[in-house]
Amino acid sequence: MIRDITIGQYLPGNSVLHRLDARMKAVLTFFFIIVIFLCKNFWSLGLMIAFTLLFTAISKVPLRMMLKSLKPIFVILIFTAVLNIFYTDGGRELFGFWKLSVTDKGLYTAGFMVIRIICLITGSSLLTYTTTPTLLTDAIERLLSPLKVFKIQVNTLAMMMTLALRFIPTLIEETDRIMNAQKARGADLESGGFIKRAKALIPILIPLFVSAFRRAYELAFAMECRCYRGGEGRTRMKQMKLKARDLGAAFLVAALFCGVFFLNYRFKALI
Amino acid sequence: MAPVIKTVNLTHLYGEKTLFEVTAIINVSIEIEKGEFVGIIGHTGSGKSTLIQHFNGLLKPNSGKVLLDGKDIWESRESVRSARFKVGLCFQYPEYQLFEETVYKDIAFGPKNMGLGDDEINTRVRRAAGYVGLSGEQLEKSPFDLSGGEKRRAAIAGVMAMEPEVLVLDEPTAGLDPRGRDTVLGLIKEYREQTGSTVILVSHSMDDVARLASKALVLNKSEVAMFGPVDEVFSHGRELMKMGLNVPEVTRIFMGLRDRGLPVSTSVYTCEQGRRELLRLSGEVSP
Repeated sequence: MIRDITIGQYLPGNSVLHRLDARMKAVLTFFFIIVIFLCKNFWSLGLMIAFTLLFTAISKVPLRMMLKSLKPIFVILIFTAVLNIFYTDGGRELFGFWKLSVTDKGLYTAGFMVIRIICLITGSSLLTYTTTPTLLTDAIERLLSPLKVFKIQVNTLAMMMTLALRFIPTLIEETDRIMNAQKARGADLESGGFIKRAKALIPILIPLFVSAFRRAYELAFAMECRCYRGGEGRTRMKQMKLKARDLGAAFLVAALFCGVFFLNYRFKALI
Repeated sequence: MAPVIKTVNLTHLYGEKTLFEVTAIINVSIEIEKGEFVGIIGHTGSGKSTLIQHFNGLLKPNSGKVLLDGKDIWESRESVRSARFKVGLCFQYPEYQLFEETVYKDIAFGPKNMGLGDDEINTRVRRAAGYVGLSGEQLEKSPFDLSGGEKRRAAIAGVMAMEPEVLVLDEPTAGLDPRGRDTVLGLIKEYREQTGSTVILVSHSMDDVARLASKALVLNKSEVAMFGPVDEVFSHGRELMKMGLNVPEVTRIFMGLRDRGLPVSTSVYTCEQGRRELLRLSGEVSP
């Protein structure tokens, strides 16, 4: 069902990860992702896995939800694994058939890539699972504010992002409603070839666009009525302040950074 | 004869086995006879919309059954599809489903999906337009050029054109001005009188239910609280009020009169009944 789409879905909670400053979380996620790609052998990758699991545990996001966020990339994972198994040069051949051969190095590389991607998705899902979209865009706005020097309207961009995120669930609900209304009139969305199915979308897309425009106009009016004049000089109700736990989180990620460097240096690189 | 719609222990949950599991309706067992006019009342979130979406197979029950003319609608793919046409469902704010270039084409969408011939479609579209009072000239307009009330009526015609055995309307008067409301309710009444079909009306207005419906179904916290003839349901005024629902305004007036010591009956549900009761009373009181 259409309700199952989980783009940046926030899971309400009160874990330490939920309460971290959104700016800090965004920056740390960024570094976390960089560290994933710095891992050069299984020792450092192991540390990476340990930290990923640790953060997941701290966040108290159910494992089921985590697996659900991995489901869409399952195909990519398989694809990556297969390509790496067959297209890695060198290493000891384990077995082969036709023109393809499977080497130990190929298997290692494949495993390595798959684990990296899983860590990557888990890390970034943790950010969106524990941060409300509004807080996230707020954080991005703050982090991008140095760009004002280049005359980029960061405020406006952030407002656009906030609104876009805010309206995803609304529009999904609207789509659901329109689909039901057309199905009630006998619209057949499930059968037929590609062209027939594409055509069957017209009765859904047209009302959806009409309603999106209507909502946009209404929102613009409402915003103007409350004296919205674009970004410059707006203050906010919720001030963001760094706390001890934010520093703690930063130290944790820094420790991960150092650990990965040490293990990379201590043991030989695999790839 | 088997009832047109029968539900047996119908239960529906949203988001089953996730964190967001919500029970929408529990153990609903009702029977609706052919030709009845049933009003469904209940709070927002009491399960009204969920219930009616089971009548035409838009939602699949988690447990329990929905029988149309005695046959389970989830028996096969075809039976679900035929349920869509047997039970015409008109959602809240149906004008947002309009999409075609002309009103005519939009009303024809349903009949076309039924696979009818052009002549039959033409007759049905014109007939449905007649029920809702749209002129031939309006049929050639773009639906987006109509006024709010006309759009609503065009959308209702789109469901009526399928000529369903049961017409289900989810708050067809929401967001209309008083005149628009009267028009829409009037045309529903007329439609029923002309076609003799079964009508189910979901409404927040007790007055509308009292005036139009023959039976009332009260949903409270996902369960059926009351189901029976309108006057019987409204005679439980106090219980309805305990659920945070209400009785028709005129009934409330008569309950107030009664509380102030006037010997009036409180089983007054429409203005007409109220007028008669007052006349009876004045005949009794004045010599």
